[in-house]
Order: sequence, then structure tokens, then C-alpha cells
Amino acid sequence: MSSLSAPRVTRVVFLVVGIVAALLAVAPLWWILVSSLRPSAEIFSTMAPLSWRTFVPTSVDFGNYAHILSSPTVRAIVNSIVVTAITVVVGLVVNSMAAFALAALNVRGRQVIFAVVVLSFMIPFDAVAIPLSTLTRQAGLANSFVALVLPGLGNGLAIFLLRQFFLGIPSELVEAARLDGARTWTIYWQVYLPMSGGALTGAGLILFIFQWQAYIWPLLVVSDPSKDMGAVALGRLFGQYGVDWGVVFAAAVLLTIVPVLIILGFQRFLVNSVSQGAIKG
Amino acid sequence: MAARPSTAEPARDTSVSAGDQVILRADRSHRLARRRRAGGWWTFAAFLAPSLVLLAVTRIVPLISSVAWSLDSRGGGFGAYREVLSSSAFQGSLRTTLLFNLVLNPVQIALSLVLALVLAQQIPAAGVWRAAVLAPIAAPQVVSVIVWGVWLRPSGGLINSFLAVFGLAPQPFLTSPYQAIWCLGLIASWIGVGYWMVFLIAGIREVPDELLEAAALDGASWLRQQISIVVPLIRRQLAFVLVADTVANFLLFVPVQVLTQGGPAQSTNLVMYEIYRQAYVFADQTTAAVETVILLVIMTAIVGLQFWLLQGRRE
Repeated sequence: MSSLSAPRVTRVVFLVVGIVAALLAVAPLWWILVSSLRPSAEIFSTMAPLSWRTFVPTSVDFGNYAHILSSPTVRAIVNSIVVTAITVVVGLVVNSMAAFALAALNVRGRQVIFAVVVLSFMIPFDAVAIPLSTLTRQAGLANSFVALVLPGLGNGLAIFLLRQFFLGIPSELVEAARLDGARTWTIYWQVYLPMSGGALTGAGLILFIFQWQAYIWPLLVVSDPSKDMGAVALGRLFGQYGVDWGVVFAAAVLLTIVPVLIILGFQRFLVNSVSQGAIKG
Repeated sequence: MAARPSTAEPARDTSVSAGDQVILRADRSHRLARRRRAGGWWTFAAFLAPSLVLLAVTRIVPLISSVAWSLDSRGGGFGAYREVLSSSAFQGSLRTTLLFNLVLNPVQIALSLVLALVLAQQIPAAGVWRAAVLAPIAAPQVVSVIVWGVWLRPSGGLINSFLAVFGLAPQPFLTSPYQAIWCLGLIASWIGVGYWMVFLIAGIREVPDELLEAAALDGASWLRQQISIVVPLIRRQLAFVLVADTVANFLLFVPVQVLTQGGPAQSTNLVMYEIYRQAYVFADQTTAAVETVILLVIMTAIVGLQFWLLQGRRE
């Protein structure tokens, strides 16, 4: 985009719009962080007459975090981490297998099958979550980790992204491997996957965000508090009468910090894998 | 809520596929093709099987079950549909959902388009402002909902404190049947606008500079360039955002479940929450199934209409 086209006054207006939008987007998140470092009573007393103290902590108190470590909420956050980690690992294998078949195996009707798979996954999961929860309970899988993981595994967008990447891998490479007598599985596991770090990271992030954000599904299939996921546990905590607000905000911060760190961390990995791929290629 | 990485990576050239064999290798690849075809289908099916099973279990089976349950009981046939469609609770829920979408979707898309156009410009520290606008994506929805729930408290809430600075009277917000639904709209927009903006910025980046420079030489103002060059060129991204935003708002659930439970006076009983209530509060599986089917039919129709309109205009 050319900056020449916008006169100076317009650019000042742009800057102001950008800053205001950025502040509006960040303020609530900043406020949770500040509130999580305050004693509960202070959270509300600093909100009523608006002042600089609303957004700036006068003292830092980690009491809420100490509190949360001895509450059942910490269990829910650990559950979220476990369920999401399993989802990402298993989901990457499943989706990359499908993407490999749809990109590298020459079979008649491949395009049609690809279209059917991607279109079917476009049925939004939340829309069928309620009937599926009934079926899950009938199958005796309520309150199971299997039930929690299952909807997050298959992902049309992840398949699409990985297939796009796999299509770019030169077919000569596959031929060479085949002439060496490699089986299809070996080509997938030892040729395609090692070359696809960046695409796998992208697909992994998609799976991660879906599962970490999941709310309606864990709400429906889990009734045993020890199996609760973090997001649902936080929702329940908020709805309780006489809730400890400090703990609510500390839990909210923990549930937000995990995705922030992972997204930031994997962005670096993303850059690394791309540059490594460039050297090898 | 997960498509960000796909925009970070430029679309790969799909033309370089297995089909492009070099002529020199023709006979070798011929032999290969034969070997691939032998047993090829079984290998293909085996690699695809786990995804197809998941697809069946998490999408197709519940879909078919809903249809079956919706037709199953209460005099058979469409009896349950007649009952649901004439119930005032479902009519109210549907009306609320449609009005919510009719107002909110254009507002959200306009906001994300304006932000995308502005933040794609070369302004000082543009990357910082862009990253900040994206921040709400990282937080789970329930976290955003809780902050806003506290901020929107009628007494002692931050928004009313803010209004007080300007001498404005405190508002009831989530406790008012007239304001609650728009408070949910505000929350949904705070969560979503930055996300939709990403897709539009990706499209704007692909607009060739030369086109804008030529327009500038012809004396077109900045606004004029955006409206007549940039916006038509990002129609594909706008179409995607429109459809995805519609689906997201039709299925909005977390703020209703956490903050209002459909109230006050049913004013926020959006259709997803209505289905949840039927299935889990009233334990009425048939009604829930009928409502699920109706929701899916309406959503498909609206998304289809949006695609059709956007396609039609291209010709």
C-alpha cells in the first residue's frame, strides 16, 4: 500500500484511529491482569469512581495466585492442557494423513473426495454439539477424556492447509523414494512430514485454539467437576454466589497466558522451520 | 476461530502437482503410475479413514440423528415441527436471533473493514496497533465475557463509571430487556472484529501498488481509491468474512450462558441457548432436535443466499 496517496492530515487521523482501536482492544485484558494482582475488595473499589488507579496497580499482591493453586480450578486448567496437548498431537497425525492421501496419492475421484471432506467439516461443530452430546451419553462416554478430545481431532481447515503445502512438495522426491523401494507410509512419515514443519505448526495452532477455546462441548459432556476444562470451570466459578473475584481473575489470566505464550513461542518456531527449509532446499 | 495461520502463509501454487511429470521421465513415471494404481485405492482409503470416521462421528451422525429425532415422536411426521414453530418461545428466540444478525453483522464487517483499511496503511508503529487489535483472539471467549460482565454491572461497573465522567446517568445494561441483547452484541464485536480484520488485511496486502499509484496520478483521493479499487479487489475475503461472521453470530452461546441465561424477559434467548435450554433444562429431546434442524436449514439458506448474491454481482 502506497503511503503517498494519503495526505499528512489523513495519516494523523489513521494513527489516532489505530491507537484508539488498540487501546479499546487491550484495555479489558490489561484490566484483568491488574485485577488479578489486587485483593478482591480493591477490584471493585477502584472501579466505581473512574481514576488512574482503575488501570494502574498501586501494589502487587500474588495472593490470588497462591489461592488458586489450592482450589479445584487448577485441576481444570491442567485438564485443559492435557486434553489440548493430546488433541494437537493425535489431530496432527490424523489430519496430515488425510492431507497426504489427498495431495500425493493419485487416485481417481480424489478431487471430489477432497471437496466432500472439506465441505462436510464446514458444518460448524457447535451446531451439532447438542445432539452429539446426547449420543455420547447414550454411548456411556460422558465424563471421559475420549469424549473431550474427539471433536477437536478432525479439522477441515487443517486438512486444507496441509494439503496445500503437500501439493508443493516436488513429485520427483516421491519418485526417488519409491524407486528406492520405500512404502507409502515411509514416504509420508520420512519424506513429507519432516519437510512440513511450518505447515504442521500452522495446523497445530488451529487445533490448539479450537480445543483451548472449547466451551459448549465440555459444558455438555462433563458433569464431574474433576473432569472440567478450564474455560467451563471459569464460567462456573463466575456464576457462583459469593464468588472470590480475585481467584476468578487469576484463573482468567492463566487461561489467557497459555495461548499467548504458545502463539508467541510457535511463531518463532514457525520462522525457524521456514528458514531451515530454505537451507535444506 | 482458528484460521489465522492460513493467512500468514501465502497460498501455495497448486499447479505444481503430481501431474507435472518431466517428459524425460515419462517411461519411468509410467511404470510408477501402474504400480501406484495397484493397491492404490486401499492405501488411499487407509490414510483417509481416520478423518472420515471422525467426520462421520462428529458431523454426519449427529446431523442425521437430529433429523430422525425431530420426525420420530408426537404423532410422527412433522407434528413436532408444527408445535415448535407455533410456540411463542421459539418464535421469540428466532426473531431475536435474526434481528441480532441483521443489525450486528453489517456493523461488525464495516468496523473490521475500516480498521483493516486504516491499519494496512504505513502509519508509525502500525505493527504494534495491529497486534493490539488482535489481542482479544488469544483470550478464551469466556474470559472476555467475564470482564465485560463485570464492566457492565449496573452499580459500580466500569462503563457506568465512565459514563459518570461525562455526567451521564447510569444504565441498566444486562439487566434491561432493551439493552441486554446489544450488550451481548458489543461483547461479540469486541471479540470478533480484530479477528475478521486479519483476513481483510491479508487481502489488502495483495492489491498491487501500481493500481493505487495510477489512481493517485489521476487525482483520486485516498477514500476514492479504497472504495473503487481496494474494496472490489478484496471481495473474496469480504465474502468469507461475511459468511463466517454470520455463522459465528447465529451460534453465539457463551455470553448468553454465562451472563444472561436468555433473560431478562427472554430478551437474549438466542437460538443456540434456546436449543440448550430445551435439551438440558426441560430435557425435551424432540423439541431440541426440531430446533437444531430449523437452525441448520436457516443458516444454510442464509449462507447460500450470501454466496449467490456475491457471485451474481461479479457477472
